[in-house]
Amino acid sequence: MLATNRPTMLRITRLAAIAAALATFAPTADAQEKIRIGYAISKTGPYAGGASITTLPNYELWVKDVNAAGGIKLGDKKLPIEIVEYDDRSSSEEAVRAIERLANQDKVDFILPPWSTGLNLAVGPTLNRLGYPHLAVTSVTDKAPELAKRWSNATFWLGTSAQISEGLAELLGKLKSEGKIGPNIAMVSVADQFGIELSAAGREAFKKAGFTLTYDKTYPMGSQDLQPLLNDAIAAKPDAFIAFSYPPDTIALTEQAQLLKFNPKVFYVGVGTAFPLYKGKFAANSDGVMGIGGWNADSPQLKDYLARHKAATGKEPDRWASSITYASLQVLQQAIEKVGKLDRTAIAAEIRSGTFDTIIGKIKLKDGLLQEVWSVGQWQNGEFYALAPTSLPGARTPVVPKPQWQ
Amino acid sequence: MSKAIACCAGLALAAALIAFPLYVNGYYLALGISVLYFTILATAWAMFSGPTRYISLATVAFFGIGAYTAAVLGETWSWPVVLLAAAAIGALVAAITGLSTLRLSGIYFVIFSFGLAELIRQLVIWYEVNIHKSVGRYLFSAVTQDVLYWQLLGLTALVFLTGFLLGRSRYGLALRAIGADETAASHSGIDAVRIKLAVFILSAVFMSVTGAIMAPRWTYIDPSIAFNPMISFQVVIMALLGGAGSLFGPVLGVIPLVLLFEVLTATLPNHFSIVLGVIFVLIVMLLPRGVIGLISPWSWSTPEGGAKGTAPVRARSGPLLQVDGASKSFGGLRAVDNVSFEVAAGQIVGIIGPNGSGKTTLLNLLSGALAPSSGAIRFGGTVITGLKPYRIARLGLARTFQLVRVMADLTVAENVAAAALFSTAPARATGRELLDLVGLAQMHDTPAGELTYIDQKRLELARALALTPQLVLLDEWLAGLNPSELETGIALIARLRDRGTTIIMVEHVMDAIRALCGHCIVMNAGSVIARGVPDEVLSDPTVVTAYLGGADA
Amino acid sequence: MLLIDIVLPGLVLGGMYALIALGLTLQYGVARIMNLSYGESLIAAAFGALTLYTGLGVSPLVALLLAVPCAVVLNWLLYRLLLARLMRRGKDRGAQEIDSILVTFGVLFAVQGVMLIAFGGQYYSYSYLSIPVVVLGTTLAVNRLVALLFAAAIGTAVYLLLTRTRVGTAVRAIAVDAGAARLVGIDVPAMSGFAFACGGGLVAIGGVLVSMFLTFNASMGVVFTMKALVVVIMGGVGNVLGALVAGLMLGVVETAVARLVDPGLTLAATYALFLAVLLIRPTGLFGRAAA
Repeated sequence: MLATNRPTMLRITRLAAIAAALATFAPTADAQEKIRIGYAISKTGPYAGGASITTLPNYELWVKDVNAAGGIKLGDKKLPIEIVEYDDRSSSEEAVRAIERLANQDKVDFILPPWSTGLNLAVGPTLNRLGYPHLAVTSVTDKAPELAKRWSNATFWLGTSAQISEGLAELLGKLKSEGKIGPNIAMVSVADQFGIELSAAGREAFKKAGFTLTYDKTYPMGSQDLQPLLNDAIAAKPDAFIAFSYPPDTIALTEQAQLLKFNPKVFYVGVGTAFPLYKGKFAANSDGVMGIGGWNADSPQLKDYLARHKAATGKEPDRWASSITYASLQVLQQAIEKVGKLDRTAIAAEIRSGTFDTIIGKIKLKDGLLQEVWSVGQWQNGEFYALAPTSLPGARTPVVPKPQWQ
Repeated sequence: MSKAIACCAGLALAAALIAFPLYVNGYYLALGISVLYFTILATAWAMFSGPTRYISLATVAFFGIGAYTAAVLGETWSWPVVLLAAAAIGALVAAITGLSTLRLSGIYFVIFSFGLAELIRQLVIWYEVNIHKSVGRYLFSAVTQDVLYWQLLGLTALVFLTGFLLGRSRYGLALRAIGADETAASHSGIDAVRIKLAVFILSAVFMSVTGAIMAPRWTYIDPSIAFNPMISFQVVIMALLGGAGSLFGPVLGVIPLVLLFEVLTATLPNHFSIVLGVIFVLIVMLLPRGVIGLISPWSWSTPEGGAKGTAPVRARSGPLLQVDGASKSFGGLRAVDNVSFEVAAGQIVGIIGPNGSGKTTLLNLLSGALAPSSGAIRFGGTVITGLKPYRIARLGLARTFQLVRVMADLTVAENVAAAALFSTAPARATGRELLDLVGLAQMHDTPAGELTYIDQKRLELARALALTPQLVLLDEWLAGLNPSELETGIALIARLRDRGTTIIMVEHVMDAIRALCGHCIVMNAGSVIARGVPDEVLSDPTVVTAYLGGADA
Repeated sequence: MLLIDIVLPGLVLGGMYALIALGLTLQYGVARIMNLSYGESLIAAAFGALTLYTGLGVSPLVALLLAVPCAVVLNWLLYRLLLARLMRRGKDRGAQEIDSILVTFGVLFAVQGVMLIAFGGQYYSYSYLSIPVVVLGTTLAVNRLVALLFAAAIGTAVYLLLTRTRVGTAVRAIAVDAGAARLVGIDVPAMSGFAFACGGGLVAIGGVLVSMFLTFNASMGVVFTMKALVVVIMGGVGNVLGALVAGLMLGVVETAVARLVDPGLTLAATYALFLAVLLIRPTGLFGRAAA
């Protein structure tokens, strides 16, 4: 046994040596002529759908914008951005390793975050240990305040699940008190962390606002056949239909609701409602549909952003996390410029404490969290306006009841 | 001398691997972690799937179970206990599922194992949503990359050690015999179900523990992370690419693939898929035997079959085999209809009859391949009706097959050794002697699949004899031999009788029946229509009619 | 009526499952290729339909006329250039199966890569025939109904072709025992290639039709591969009628579970049913009893 295996073992060692040699061709950091920024993003796998609408186009647009303006100002000179990008293949392990690679091999100056709650949490400890600022934009979790405390380098930008559900409950409560809708809500949610947290928070918030949940179910991720679910939801005669769903199911729910001529006064669907795809597919029928996110579409900065986004990437941004992603990058840039040197700890602290001017207005994080986040938007005449929290400046008046499907 | 060098090299390699985290940066360490974690999974996978050829896609089911166990218990229990719990839960699930699934084979098992992984994932989701009211689990732990690496390295060492010991043990050979031909293995006294189950559980334990070790690295575990089916596929691909048939094969697939993935991700992030796909296709087309095929034509050491000794003459009164009213129906067809006969020790009994008269079915009833619909069979005083084939084989009842069954991938010697593995009777002859006896002495190390048809028949007989049987069932063992081979064959059977082996032979070669059998039984349409001394029986008019076609044919 | 409300949508859903599985029945059941890139072919056809519809306004039903011949030719080439070689090389069915798993895994990535470059990773969806029709008091979508009708028609037609024609008999002979088929003078490689290519054509039909009502992106192929495998195995490998029945059964069970038990358990029910069928009848609903 030993005799036959020895050559094998030796060859393994040899292979390993070749392998190590292969992997060593990493570039070395050159004199500070430019700022190297790296990211690993899901270009393939199940997260590619989300990453390629919300995150990747904004990284590309931002780099283009910054470099067109000469770069990031560091001291008295402007340094252009150089990008190193990897594909994390929607895998937590790949994402962690890519961060190690960016930091240790490519020695990038900054690392931009991956897409999704899961991947952001997976890379969190690594980025924290390595001391890179972590703009965990596309992560929605109730643990965000705790995480922000644990990781002083991390910031959270989309609010917590509770915030989103409470914003929705507040809006619905207002509509109820105005007599526009009754007290019955049918709620469905996708069975993953996102759907569960939002529906759990929603359950409580709706109850507090005096609503009754006449239907409350989850469905498996990836399900695009939701007619049975809708049939039961219809039977529950809700005034408002709430779905904490993902893009494919958001589309399926809307399409099947139209087929079944299901016209609740409020029709709210989850992630994907704010995508240009939604408007493109449903055209006039999208009018009156509510969903997560929204933006102040009348703001000139956002109008300008929309135009630039279209020109640079050939498509419109989504109306929820896209503009926030871009804004987070602006914050990064301004924080670098304010600190004036590539001191990542100082920059991370500045991101948390400073006030910044971005496309979504003046931003100041509180305890590492962006507080002013739109939780409900509504398609009105081909634009996805923000409705709630109603206290935020720029909140539109909702159109209720939603126009009948055509 | 060379052994000493090898030892030193091994120690140096081990030291280098252990010290690895101390002299590389975080990235290489992360790469090392990837290599190790896939090495464990692929090696554990190949431990079961390599020899049995059951392509399992359930890797991620066990990996995920381990990860979830760690996520649920990790923050409250001490870490070694968590790992043990992961191992125990993985083993339990493997045992339950293995019991129900391991009788499936080939493609059905592939898909079943995949379905199993998905079912477990869906049930976990459902439980988390409805009982725990939250789907993701957070696991904050201070585990550093170094510690993670060392844990994985330890587990890697353990998986290789286990694989090595398993390969050397009789269970290793038994598992390969099962993979080569499960029926032949069962009739050679190997308890196929139990061995498959045991090794399946063993490999599942390694997968579960790997999942538990990896979980803290990702902070956050949800079912789509823990039960990502891509992990199963990657493991299969890596193991198959490296060569699943040997202990170090899988790792030879893991290293190049992890590096290939890495280099491609780094250099061509936007064309990763295409380039990977093309390279992959090329590898498969150009490397038919896996990476290990490039390196060495691997061979396994062969345990010598059984210790040599002399068999005590087991004194016994009464017949060796007693068949009492045995019947077997398939649907409405009575293939064997109320057959009774006895065989005394030392006899050669012939069973003859036209094609389709139920002879082979009768042998299948005797050897346990089929359970009789009614009737009783006693062997050496023990009732063996309905016993599993391996139990009957271990009692000393061996058989050959009408359509010859050898374990094609195993060498001639291994075929014989496999049959001696679980035999309870003291061996009368070594494997080599048995091969000598049947005239295969020169073929010792030839893969059985490369033998000629006649030699395969010889090998089958040697394998049957390796069980040290009291009774051998020969199913048309002489069919297809040319006149001179026939003569040797008849002489061989006569020699077996002289050694004290009792024989039942189903045969169409009447010269052989006349020469060897003192007694013969004639079957037609499932029933015994005549019995007695061959010459008399063969001239019986009912027998002649049955052969030549009577009114009812 | 709850019963009709369960059975009809269930059948429509099941029709889709059957539709996406029919091609694999031929590829896996007959040509013995465990085609892991099956779902990618399906998505590719869906992208084809999307491009034709949104770009040129070609109805998906017309697009079939283009997509199916293209798919047949491409799959035939795939078989001739890669798979036939592996089939020749493999000693036994086990070795052939392993090789085909490995090589189609590579093809999966290559096809996905091409689609990623052409379309990016984001979701696509368009509406065609998304109009309600009321059948026995239950509202159904026309596009899904069309898929069901296609599945039923194709399933029956392929079944008849396989059982009533000489070519069909030859194809079935290969499915049962390729070695024996060769002995009786059947050109096994040619017939297997033919079956594989036809399977590819059926995938294209499935892809074009489901694109009318499902949201998809370039990374979603594996979802369809898995669903198709479940249906094929459940129905009995190589049995077209079995796939049809298994698909419909899955649809009805999923719908029933969603309505009567808990929508969260639909997928668990699918796999439980699948595993149960395999345990009771290891060769599938309509598979031959194991020898």
